[in-house]
Amino acid sequence: MREIKFVQAIIEALEEEMTRDETVFIIGLNVQADPILTPVRLVEKFGTKRLREVPIAEPGILGCGVGAALAGYRPIVHSRFVDFFMPAADELFHKAAKWRYIHGGKVTIPVTFLAGIGGYLGGGGPEHSQCLEGYIMHTPGLKLAIPTTPYDLKGLLKTAIRDNNPTVVLYHRILVGAGTSGLVPEEEYTIPFGQADIKREGKDVTVVATGLMVFMTLQVADQLQEKGLDVEVLDPRTLEPLDIETILSSVKKTHRLVIVDEDTLRCSVGAEIGMQFMEKGFDYLDAPIKRVGAANSPIPGGFMECYALPQPQDIADAITEVLGIKESFQVKPLELLKPGRHMGERLGYGKKEN
Amino acid sequence: MLTKEQKMKLYTNLVRVRKLDEIMVKGVLSGKVCGHWSSQKGQEAVGVGATTFLRKDDYIFFCHRGHGITTVIPKGISPRAFIAEHFSKNSGACQGMGCLHVADMEYGAPGLSGSLGGDFVLAAGMGIAAKMRAKGQVVVCIQGDGTYGRGTFHEAALMAANWKLPIVWGVENNQYMVFTPTSDIFPKENMADLAFGYGMPGVVVDGQDVVAVFEAFQTAIERARAGEGPSLIECKTYRIEPHTYGMVDKRCAGLRSPEEIEPWVKKDPVNLFQERLLKEGVLTQADVDRIDREAIEEMEEAERFATESPAPDPQILKQVLYWK
Ligand SMILES: Cc1ncc(C[n+]2csc(CCOP(=O)(O)OP(=O)(O)O)c2C)c(N)n1
Ligand SMILES: [Mg+2]
Repeated sequence: MREIKFVQAIIEALEEEMTRDETVFIIGLNVQADPILTPVRLVEKFGTKRLREVPIAEPGILGCGVGAALAGYRPIVHSRFVDFFMPAADELFHKAAKWRYIHGGKVTIPVTFLAGIGGYLGGGGPEHSQCLEGYIMHTPGLKLAIPTTPYDLKGLLKTAIRDNNPTVVLYHRILVGAGTSGLVPEEEYTIPFGQADIKREGKDVTVVATGLMVFMTLQVADQLQEKGLDVEVLDPRTLEPLDIETILSSVKKTHRLVIVDEDTLRCSVGAEIGMQFMEKGFDYLDAPIKRVGAANSPIPGGFMECYALPQPQDIADAITEVLGIKESFQVKPLELLKPGRHMGERLGYGKKEN
Repeated sequence: MLTKEQKMKLYTNLVRVRKLDEIMVKGVLSGKVCGHWSSQKGQEAVGVGATTFLRKDDYIFFCHRGHGITTVIPKGISPRAFIAEHFSKNSGACQGMGCLHVADMEYGAPGLSGSLGGDFVLAAGMGIAAKMRAKGQVVVCIQGDGTYGRGTFHEAALMAANWKLPIVWGVENNQYMVFTPTSDIFPKENMADLAFGYGMPGVVVDGQDVVAVFEAFQTAIERARAGEGPSLIECKTYRIEPHTYGMVDKRCAGLRSPEEIEPWVKKDPVNLFQERLLKEGVLTQADVDRIDREAIEEMEEAERFATESPAPDPQILKQVLYWK
């Protein structure tokens, strides 16, 4: 094992898969220059045909991904902002998701959509701060991974590239931009879809968290430990397929469930996980499920975003509430989210990073 | 022909916008602007030339770069409202909710599309409204060269041409989209050629020359007001700053060379116009100094105003989603 950053995990997965399989190529805005995808070495090794620079033309970019996949290639479509998949809703939600099904299983679409999600950019504004996993999970036909450590990201991205289905892999922009690191083995590995991971064991309450919220919840859990609360943090890692069994067995032990995800609360991933749980695990619960998510509004710009996005204190309060504790334990704001740093730096585009 | 007063006005707007850009850079450095700043320094002649003499009821769409400073300030939005919006203050143009998304319908500025290319089709819709209202309003929609890659331009241009909508499409061609030279993306030298497929005039102008820009837009605007339909104007300019302030400055996989930037620094649109006006005798050195001083005072006062304004009441988040 060695410690590597998110950026390195992405690059390793891409390089290994592009070396292994000549049909794998990357297409997206600034892919030849993006510090998170492509050190110069990759451009030199694979050439510009396999690192395809594109116009600002998202239906074209995603559509080329689907089209090349239909014709036997394994494209990886990249966007720093999942928000810009929205202009390409037809290509993502109709073509990629439905064409195999509506053609009776006669066509195969092994495309991978890799994109950055999330807010906390400080001034990203409503069209640069979203988590669209709710829309994606809602759409049958798209597999969906949302890894939160360099280890998970590398393993799941490799699995996604090899998968014969259209697959979406979402990384959190803040985790990548902040240069967060984690342990990753030297040798090759993949991680199957549909296996949740317990990121922290505990016996008092289960918190199911996704994306940056895993990171945030772990920091909250450490602080609550000092107050004697033992929090289990469970990361589903993939949302389609969803490993509901691991969630059920965790709550069977803790009897309390909090679900934290960064998407807009209404019709969110958290809503779906909560309802799937209720259908099977109601009897395990000693208290109603509590959800934490973004306000049912767009994410406002500038400093105002903090009022709409979930904060560590919201998570701590939800945990104490399901435990029936009247007192509110004060927790620290997330370290990564220092105000006053400009957005480019938060995205990992600062001068230093290069 | 421009009158002396009109030339003074163009020059003053160039200087005001430049000083405002400098305030925004300082704002990012000090952390007062929460977010980012994509400086439009060196490209001011495009927006200023196109919009300084628009009617108040004309509509404008603008590039993401500068978040509209080169168009909304000439159009009449106050620097106070612009800066306060970026400082997330309740006195901002959008009550501190938008930050980079500055809008004010009183000045015909409906906003900034975060997903680039979203504006083209909205401009077509505003063109329909302008035409139906029949008061001679026009829509000026200026977008970056990269943004013209979006298919929405085709859809909007098609409708605008077919219905002879009063729209002027402007390309602010600064030759880059983030790290990628536009010449790597577009097969032809002139993006103005895009116009011909829609049967509208397409012209290329020197985007460093504020008078040339003004004249090209004026011709197109008159044509639009007369009901003869849309035009497309490509303004050739150059991005001298990194994509956003503080960001690494790349060209493809490598770094952008200072030698590439330097000739364009020499073609600074404010300096070029100043030299010309001094030579023509429109301006004296004393005028130049006064305009500079007044612009600095105006922007510094606006910055103080923004700094001293209170933050928005978080209750606003519950109030503006729906019309009540
Ligand atoms: C639909 C969409 N795709 C991608 C982006 C990310 N993005 C922001 S600015 C930019 C480059 C824009 O280039 P151009 O239109 O030439 O404007 P410039 O930055 O050169 O002023 C890109 C790709 C976006 N905002 N929207
Ligand atoms: Mg450009």
